[in-house]
Amino acid sequence: MGIGGGDEVGNETQNVLIDEVQRQLEGIDDAIYKKVIVSGEMVSILYLSSLVDHLRFHETVIIPLFNGHEDLTQVWEEARPANLHTFLTLITAGYTILFFHERNHYLKVNTYSPPTGAIEESDTESTIAGPRNSFTEAMQTNISLIKRRIHNSGLKSDEYRIGSETNTKATVLYMEHLVNKNNLEKIVQRLHSIRTTGINDINELSQLMEESQFSPFPQFHNTERPDSVVTSLLDGRIIILLDNSQTALICPSSFFEFFTSPEDQYSRWPTATLLRCIRFFGFFLTIMLTPFYISALSHHPEMLPFEVLINLQESRSRVPFPPVIEVLFMEIVIEVLREAGSRMPTKIGQTIGIVGGIVIGTAAVEAGLVSNTLIVLVAISALLSFLPPSFVMSNTSRIIRYIFILSAGLFGLYGQMIAFAWLIYHLISLKSIGTPYMAPVIPRKWTDLLDGIFRAPLTLSQHRKGISGEVENRTLPTDGEE
Amino acid sequence: MHIHQSKTLNGYHVVFLVQNVMIGSALLSLPNLLSPVGYSQWWFPIMFGAFANLLLIPMIWIARQNHELTLFGIHQKLFGKWVGTCINTAIIVYAIILLASVCEGYLELIQVVALSDRTITGPLFIFFLLLIYIANNGIKSIARFCIASFFLVTWLLYFLTWGFTEGDIGHTLPLFNFTREEFLAATQKGFISVVGFEVILFYFPYIIQQEKAFRHASYGIWICILCYLSTTLVSVMYYSQWQLENVMYPVLYLFNAVKLSFLERIDVLAITLWVFFILTTTAAYLWVAKKGVDSIRGMEKKSHLYIIALIIYLMISLPLPKEFQKELYERIYYVTYGLMIWPIFLCVVQFVKNKKEGIQ
Repeated sequence: MGIGGGDEVGNETQNVLIDEVQRQLEGIDDAIYKKVIVSGEMVSILYLSSLVDHLRFHETVIIPLFNGHEDLTQVWEEARPANLHTFLTLITAGYTILFFHERNHYLKVNTYSPPTGAIEESDTESTIAGPRNSFTEAMQTNISLIKRRIHNSGLKSDEYRIGSETNTKATVLYMEHLVNKNNLEKIVQRLHSIRTTGINDINELSQLMEESQFSPFPQFHNTERPDSVVTSLLDGRIIILLDNSQTALICPSSFFEFFTSPEDQYSRWPTATLLRCIRFFGFFLTIMLTPFYISALSHHPEMLPFEVLINLQESRSRVPFPPVIEVLFMEIVIEVLREAGSRMPTKIGQTIGIVGGIVIGTAAVEAGLVSNTLIVLVAISALLSFLPPSFVMSNTSRIIRYIFILSAGLFGLYGQMIAFAWLIYHLISLKSIGTPYMAPVIPRKWTDLLDGIFRAPLTLSQHRKGISGEVENRTLPTDGEE
Repeated sequence: MHIHQSKTLNGYHVVFLVQNVMIGSALLSLPNLLSPVGYSQWWFPIMFGAFANLLLIPMIWIARQNHELTLFGIHQKLFGKWVGTCINTAIIVYAIILLASVCEGYLELIQVVALSDRTITGPLFIFFLLLIYIANNGIKSIARFCIASFFLVTWLLYFLTWGFTEGDIGHTLPLFNFTREEFLAATQKGFISVVGFEVILFYFPYIIQQEKAFRHASYGIWICILCYLSTTLVSVMYYSQWQLENVMYPVLYLFNAVKLSFLERIDVLAITLWVFFILTTTAAYLWVAKKGVDSIRGMEKKSHLYIIALIIYLMISLPLPKEFQKELYERIYYVTYGLMIWPIFLCVVQFVKNKKEGIQ
């Protein structure tokens, strides 16, 4: 075997270095340090066995090493600069380090073989039509899922490390010829400015990157589905993937996207439009329905026709609380039911649902705690709150509802409208990396309206979306094509 | 005052800023304000629109001559620092009183129609919190809010169809059934409804397409006039002359003509939804007052906004004599008429100045 010419002068220093690395790895029970003789030369091998699969180790290290390649530097990379920190980082990232004592040469081999989960169907974004693959927790698998769908050399991926202790890998993906360079700069800047010791999930990263930390609204959309990611990439948007995280972050995102499902693209346009409208207006209905009950009963009974009012008052005749307390009580009970159900194993969760449905629903009315009209309203608004395909947005709608309930309790319909004005103003002033959150209502391009709340037939809505901002060169490069 | 920020307002921002600042609570009482001319009032909004459009010409001319300056800056440039500052202070005081009058007028209406068992203190407080939040982010955010408000509120016009079908189209004729005194009285009272387009003098430097500003502002004026025209027309058809004279908020009662099986008293819904229009109007004036204080003090500070808001809040909530307040609020509209004609005078001064500079 032959290795590039070694430097005899620094031999002793290099030996000291390998000893130091070995000393640092003491106390790590899966750290492997082996010395082998290959063609009469001593070679030290270092790696962490928990990160390296034996089969892969055998194929990538042992076979080339003992079968005597012409020049191993052509097969493996040289580890430079050869300092302690680099080596430790490499070893903890799953690399195998080889030190050739006589030649005084360090080589590194990427032997990282993380346990890869099977590619399964998404739980939170399941669809009836369209592809079913979802991301896994292994980043390499996720990247390959995306690259399998875009065969274009314009798809670039940059790697970053986040967390001073965990050094978690984050990858930024974008289409080079479509992306808005300003957005890319901002993303990179924000990734660099994150100060944290460690990060576990992309939702944490999303919160650390947001512009308005105090807003109840999520400013980045996340998805588990590679097809959604591909659509976003083709709009010129930037995708962030985090190692060990099953979701991808889409930047920038708009409010309306939280109400769209990838399935909209695969359904016929009237179906897609109808469902989008239901989801979108459902959001406003869910925050307005029970507050309106409070307004109408406590402040403006004159708004309701006599028969309706009598009906309502009859159903409330045994309820001792004012409407606002009644509504708050019921809403919190629903929240408790949901929270209790979501933390339980599925089988017990079902029991909770039945107990909640029967006991709270029927018995509360019979006990005279709430009116049956309110039960209907609360149930409808709870159902409506689960309409947005995005779980984060569905949580937000429930939080916002409390603001509306309290303002309706205080000032009736006037309070509700003030809260509504706040909501509208907040939404139109919110930004996701400099892009209006209310795009396409605040249009970057007029054609965006064809794929907003209403989805036009696909042949009409083939324009690239303007959400990522202005880019001059919008033609696809010819490389990569036949 | 020079503008350091980049230009931010698009054409449609200008259209809706003009339109939304114009529509305030005056629309609700417009048919009553125009009642001196009786049934002939329905075409008056068209005349007001034409007047407003004419008055816009000198405004845009003077603004384009000093395209980087707000009206505050123009005053300082034309009249020197001291006189300019005095005029600017007067405008700030005017904006504050106008704001107080609009807020108080609206909140009293809310109290009468929607929250009869409450004082206005609470509603006033949350109104101001939101107002500060809106005015804080600058004119572009206000403009965006104007666009949203327009689409969220103008659908109420649909409710006019009930009044339209029940009304009598014969009321619209004859067209000129009034004396000169009646005409002047109606114009004097009713012209208040078009107040608001003059705010363009203050945000003109922020407009991107300044050369098209006149056209965009005119669109705004005529959208507003169209809303006015539809309400006066339906009011004339629906009401008797006596009702027009004696019902203070005819437009609100017009909503009561609506017959729905699931909702009565649409006026409560309408008046509460109207808060969007009041917010846009007041936010724009609050922003103007803030810019004025900025220009006088020569520095931009958020605290200016809070102080102005506090002054207005105190003006409304302190127990001032009602007669004094009423007098003050009525007089302020004459100042408004003055402010509308003021740019003509500014144009003359600018013209003379330009000529002088040309000779030198």
